[in-house]
Order: sequence, then structure tokens, then C-alpha cells
Amino acid sequence: MGAYFDDVDLAHFGDLKEHAPELWAAFETYYAAAFEPGLLSRREKVLIGFAVAQASQCPYCVDSYTRQALEQGLTMKHLGEAMHSAASLRAGITLAHGLVAHNTDRKVSM
Amino acid sequence: MTATALSRFGERLAQARGALRAGALATLQVNLGKRCNQACRHCHVDASPARTETMSDDVLEACVRALERWAQLTTVDVTGGAPEIHPRFRELVERARALDRHVMVRHNLTVQLEPGQADLPAFFARNRAEVVCSLPHYTEDATDRQRGRGVFGKSVTALRALNEVGYGRGNGLVLTLVSNPVGAFLPPRQADLERDTRERLRDAHGVVFDRLFTITNMPIARFAEWLRRTGGYEPYMARLEAAFNPATLDGLMCRSLVSVGYDGRLYDCDFNQMLELDLEAGQPRTIHGFDLQRLEGRRVHTGEHCFGCTAGTGSSCGGSVA
Repeated sequence: MGAYFDDVDLAHFGDLKEHAPELWAAFETYYAAAFEPGLLSRREKVLIGFAVAQASQCPYCVDSYTRQALEQGLTMKHLGEAMHSAASLRAGITLAHGLVAHNTDRKVSM
Repeated sequence: MTATALSRFGERLAQARGALRAGALATLQVNLGKRCNQACRHCHVDASPARTETMSDDVLEACVRALERWAQLTTVDVTGGAPEIHPRFRELVERARALDRHVMVRHNLTVQLEPGQADLPAFFARNRAEVVCSLPHYTEDATDRQRGRGVFGKSVTALRALNEVGYGRGNGLVLTLVSNPVGAFLPPRQADLERDTRERLRDAHGVVFDRLFTITNMPIARFAEWLRRTGGYEPYMARLEAAFNPATLDGLMCRSLVSVGYDGRLYDCDFNQMLELDLEAGQPRTIHGFDLQRLEGRRVHTGEHCFGCTAGTGSSCGGSVA
């Protein structure tokens, strides 16, 4: 066993259907439908996918959605803004959890 | 290029429609030479200021004779290198226009800033040539990464000069932009990029244009060397092959065009020209033997690189084809 994350594994994502084929098929249908253009364009959905991948820290997804974003005519300038949007939200989420500490302190401290 | 790779495209073609054959010819593409004022990283011609190959008087005259003889060739597509550098470029454009042919000039924009070329926009306008300009992306960073530092700024200056003489304003002086990806990936949907580019160039730079073509980077010459050097050749070919789209086949440029090399040799397209893949046996070898009736219906010489024109929505000198 080498590294846990290897880029060649991305192409084998579909191998996971072996363990639960019906559920995998349902996931594939759902995933494809969710990324079909609707009120949001395909490009907007790809950009959301990229930001979620960044915030979720999934290297496979970051790789895949970077490529897809480039093929949508976006550049690293666009992705740079998107990753800061995702990162700043993550920072805000981290800080928001501080409210629990804030409230707990108010309950128990004099 | 390996026999296996050649047969891969052949297999996909056979499954889709059998051999690829030319239809009615409408365009004579004339490559005036490989000399260029730029040396872009994706260039399939390997053009640069150091190249010396240039079309001779003899070949240029034969191109004009072919236009005089065959009225079916309604369009002349003038390319290079930077074709404007050729000493008889302007004469060729004027003679083609005198024969009432539509002239498209593949224009890299920055050549306007070379000595003696400042009046190119006025020359184009006077001859009502369609100007087809290379601009990979509406952002400075992406364009400069592919075409060289400072190219975006110079390109904007050149586009403004074209706008000033009337190009891009929907009045018949057609200004077309050509965008190709800045790397080993497919271009976006042509309509999407055209919309974004129109908005960005207008708002940020006051530049207008008529239409935008997207073109896929061809896995040959300088771009192929870069792919191989960076370990990206096989993944890029796999990406192109996975995106093979039979709906692109009818609109491929090789079905309606013959490409003339600087040395007069004839090819099915600009890319076959760079790979020196001659026309099929029995066809004329050079412009001196040009015979439109024999060339129509000829079998097109295909290879692995043809996945570049048939991936996704397709790619041709006129942009997407499907």
C-alpha cells in the first residue's frame, strides 16, 4: 500500500458499485441529475462543486472540478476567488461555533 | 505517431460512418510561411521569428491561378505564421478580393505593432477582409501564459485599432475572435465563452467584436512537445478520445477545404500540413496540379490528431461544428 490518495484512483471511482450496485446506480442517477443545467447553468453548478470540494478537502474532487471548471472557460483567477469564498465561509463557520463557548461561559461563569 | 494510435481514430470513424471523404470544396487555405513575430506555446505550426520558410512567388501565383480557374472556391483563408509578414501578403488579399472572393486573414493582433504594419486595420477595412484574431481568453493572465508576457495588452490595443476603422460593429467588417484553451483541456461551450468575452472586453476595455470561435488545441508540434514534457500527452489524448462526437464529422473543415503549404504542397487541413501527411494517392501533390473536381470526394488522411477536431462540440477553423 502506497499513498492513501493517488490521482490514478479517480478513474476507479465507479469500482465502488461492486459493493452495492443498486445504491450506486441510484447515486449516479441523482448525481447526474443534480448537475444538469436548470435555473443554474452547468458552469455555476461546476463552480459550486469546486467550492464544496475545496471546503470538504477532497483531493479527488478538487482535481476533477478544477478540470471541469477550466473546460467551462474559467481560469485560476476565477477559482482563486471561489476558494477564498469557500475558505472564508469555513472560517466563519469555525468562529460561529465559538457561540457555543460564549453561551456556555455565560451559563457557568460569574 | 503509432499504427495503434492511427487505428484508434480509424476504428471510431468506422463505427460512426466509415471513411471520411471531402464534400464540395469552398475554401482554399493558403499558408504563407512559418515566420511569426510570436512563439506561442500551443502553436501547431511551430511558428516563430526564427523560422525562414516562406511562400515563393511561383507558388503564390499558382494559388491565384487556382482561384481564377475555380469559382467554387468562394473563400480564401490566409494563414501562417503571421501571414502579414509575407512581402506579397497584401497583394494576395487584393487579388483575391478582385476575384470577388471572401478573404479571411488569421491575424495574431500583435503583428500590427511591428514596423510598417500600423496601417493593417485600414488595409483590412479597405479590402473588406474578415479578420480572425487569436485571443485565448479575456483575462490578461491566461492569455499571457499562452502567448507571452504583454501579449494581452498589445492585443487589446490592436483590437481597439480594428474597432476604430469599423470592425466588430455589425456593419459587414467582420471581426472574429478565436479562443483556444490555455492548457490540456477542452474548450468551453462556444456560446458561453462568446457571451462572457463580449461582456468583459466591452466593460473593461471598450472592445467590441462580431463572433467568437472556440478551437481545441491539437496534439501535434509544439503543443504535443509540451504535453510529453509534462507527462500530459496520454491523459490529453484519452480526454479527447473519450469526448469523440460523431455529430462533428459532417462539419469538419477537411470536408470543404484544401490547405496549401508554403512550398505549394496540398493537404487535407492545416494540421495534416504540419504533420506532412499528403493527400491520398492519385491526388495532385501541389497547387500547380490543383484540380477541384478530382479533390472533391477524396478520402481524407486521418490520424490520432483527428480526435482534436472531433472532441466535444468539435473544432474547426470556423470554431465548434456540432
